[in-house]
Amino acid sequence: MSGLADPFGLLRDAAYGAERLGRSLIGQDRIRLAVTGLTRAGKTVFLTSLLANLLAAGRGQRTLPALERAAGGRLRAVRPVPAGIEGLPRFDVAAHLAALAADPPAWPARTEDLSTLELTLELDRQSMLAGLLGTRSVTLELLDYPGEWLLDLPMLNQDFPGWSAATLARLRRPGHAAAMGAFLGFVDSLPPGVAAEDSLVQRGFALYRDALRGCRDRLGFRFLQPGRVLNPGPRGETPLLWFFPLPPGARGGLAGLMAERHRAYVEAQRREFFEPYFRRFERQAVLVDVLGALHAGQAAFDDTAEALAAIAEALRYGGGWLDWLTGVGVDRVAFVATKADHVPARQRDALSSLLGHLVAAPQRRATGAGVTTSVHALAAVRCTEDDVATLDGRPVAAVRGVLLSSGRSAKVYPGEIPLRPPEPGFWDHGFFEMPEFQPPRLDREGGAGVPHLGLDALLAALIGDVL
Amino acid sequence: MTASDDRGGDGREGFDRPRGNQAPRGPRVIPEDEPAAVPPRPMPQAERQAAPPGGPRVILDEKAGPAPRLDFQWEQAVVPVAAPRPSVRWSGIGRAIGGLTLLGGGLAALDAANFVVDQFGRGAVQGWATLGVVAGGVALLGSGLWREVRGLASIRAVDRARAAFARGDLAAAKAETLRWAASVQEAAPLQPAIRGAASIAELGALLQPALAQLEARAATLGRNAAVQSFAVTAISPSPGLDALVFAWRGVRLVRQVAALHGLRPGLAGTLALLRRTLQDAAMVAATDVAVDAAARALLSNRLLEQFAGEAAAGAVAARRMLRLARVAAEACRVLPPG
Repeated sequence: MSGLADPFGLLRDAAYGAERLGRSLIGQDRIRLAVTGLTRAGKTVFLTSLLANLLAAGRGQRTLPALERAAGGRLRAVRPVPAGIEGLPRFDVAAHLAALAADPPAWPARTEDLSTLELTLELDRQSMLAGLLGTRSVTLELLDYPGEWLLDLPMLNQDFPGWSAATLARLRRPGHAAAMGAFLGFVDSLPPGVAAEDSLVQRGFALYRDALRGCRDRLGFRFLQPGRVLNPGPRGETPLLWFFPLPPGARGGLAGLMAERHRAYVEAQRREFFEPYFRRFERQAVLVDVLGALHAGQAAFDDTAEALAAIAEALRYGGGWLDWLTGVGVDRVAFVATKADHVPARQRDALSSLLGHLVAAPQRRATGAGVTTSVHALAAVRCTEDDVATLDGRPVAAVRGVLLSSGRSAKVYPGEIPLRPPEPGFWDHGFFEMPEFQPPRLDREGGAGVPHLGLDALLAALIGDVL
Repeated sequence: MTASDDRGGDGREGFDRPRGNQAPRGPRVIPEDEPAAVPPRPMPQAERQAAPPGGPRVILDEKAGPAPRLDFQWEQAVVPVAAPRPSVRWSGIGRAIGGLTLLGGGLAALDAANFVVDQFGRGAVQGWATLGVVAGGVALLGSGLWREVRGLASIRAVDRARAAFARGDLAAAKAETLRWAASVQEAAPLQPAIRGAASIAELGALLQPALAQLEARAATLGRNAAVQSFAVTAISPSPGLDALVFAWRGVRLVRQVAALHGLRPGLAGTLALLRRTLQDAAMVAATDVAVDAAARALLSNRLLEQFAGEAAAGAVAARRMLRLARVAAEACRVLPPG
């Protein structure tokens, strides 16, 4: 996404780097926190909890003790930056909180569009001149977006034949067969050099879209491209999306049309989504639903690891001489296992450890670029408490919560969380869908923040150094 | 207890971690009391094999109907804890000044008392007259000190109001703004509306027009001071006098602006206000340096420099006075700026 091929991008990077330096000198830092996560990783809930707890901490509530310690007790106030002339929707933290606190409660629906919010953290200065210079501020930029779109990031560096070959190879793996059969049968039966007949394209696209949806919703796969086919956003489906991978050697009108749409799609995603929001950021939280991947089976687990590695490969962490020259680069990356309240306290370390193995490739890449990384287990909204269940006459550590569907209290034994990617025998227990729990009792106004597990430690690791 | 402390069952005794083949390994829902009535959640897909017994499970454990939502008593757990007050330590200089004050004040009081007693020894008239003089002097001294303390307290009230707004504490913000409104002519009619304000944002919005009016008047005061300092700088014979006039006019301007906002700072109050104002002014000093450097770069021609030098100095002084009025007004606002 960078390089000498894009001199204007470099100039913008240089201007951005200079602005950062200037802001830092006058004590008005600005930090873009990229929250990246695959679909259903819990980005929206994470952002809601982060904002509610930070705003409460700004009012003096002790919602984020580890962050408070990192700030040395110098956090004076936190307030949302008033809306300006942004063309993007504003992240509606109040509406999300109200839905979580409502009776019956509702978790945020699937994110369909981008939304942003900025917070200003006002802090006392640490220096000798603190009394003279007044407070300093750190502005935190946050963005919410559909997780599916993130998987388009690896497409930016692929042409249509390359993308087709990689995608079909992935979709032909045994784990995908149940959802992919019809589409693979269709593309394999296409004669080489077939014309771009509209009804044929429509049928192929419909089969591909249904196959991707099946992979996501029934099989728990995440590495599915293009992202907008699964989540087209507020504009709905446009002809730009009507393409699908073709076997190697495909030529003729259909292959030409597919390649043209692929190129236009990639360009549009680059221009509208990645360039403005993912080219430059300073901190990154990578959210992963490790437990969901573990319970969805080996193929889905491996697929999640592959998707995360591909995204990290396409992101720009800095460390190159051009980044050094323009002053652009990522400072800290935190890998986060979400929904940690779905396992008892004694298993959360195992969850972190397993995540560490799952994101080994991205973490290596970030560390190689000089970025500080850390691994965390987190529950943005804590919905359970630890309990003991008796299984086969034996007491085991479990969690207890109230089920969202029935409103009844239930204990969940989440199985044994392995410390490292499990042996093949582990997967014998089959698949399990973790039930959804009701959020705990919450203040509708969010005045005291939201109960969480580990959010304060995560924020201290991500932004503690600038406070 | 901190907010992220575990209030769950970690550390309970009497259960084992599942081991080996005997251990349940995958997740499951286990209907504990009414097995037939509570089927496990459907598996995601028919083609997937059913979870063998021993996997993860969900155990519905109450026969009764819906359970109340979990309550972690979060609001109580995160209640702000008052930070320990930094202990006040007397420095060496502080002790010396305290000693001097005690010696001066105490000995003077003792002297005065002895003198009054002596005077009574000379005669009742002399005694009463001396007592009257001493009492009058002490009363004047006390009232002066009292005014200083009140002046300082009024500036602290601004801090309290701002803190209440920052915390979102509606009751405290209302109380402070009501006290403020009573002392400011422009805000006096707002008192009923302030009492009825339902939220911090609403209260802020109610105060805005009055504050804008005060700011406009502060700007007028600033313009007057700017014109005066410009004129004085242009005619004054020495730069030292310029600085003196500027300082005097600056202090007067800060006191005028404070009076607009219902503050009646005494000497100590004025010093506190000046310190606060200068905090902001220091931030803009860097800008001044940059502007001066730019002006000098542009006026590198010697003749032009001579010609523009005096007027430029006056203009800079005037601009500083305008800025001083603005930052002084910001320092006195009951509502946090921005």
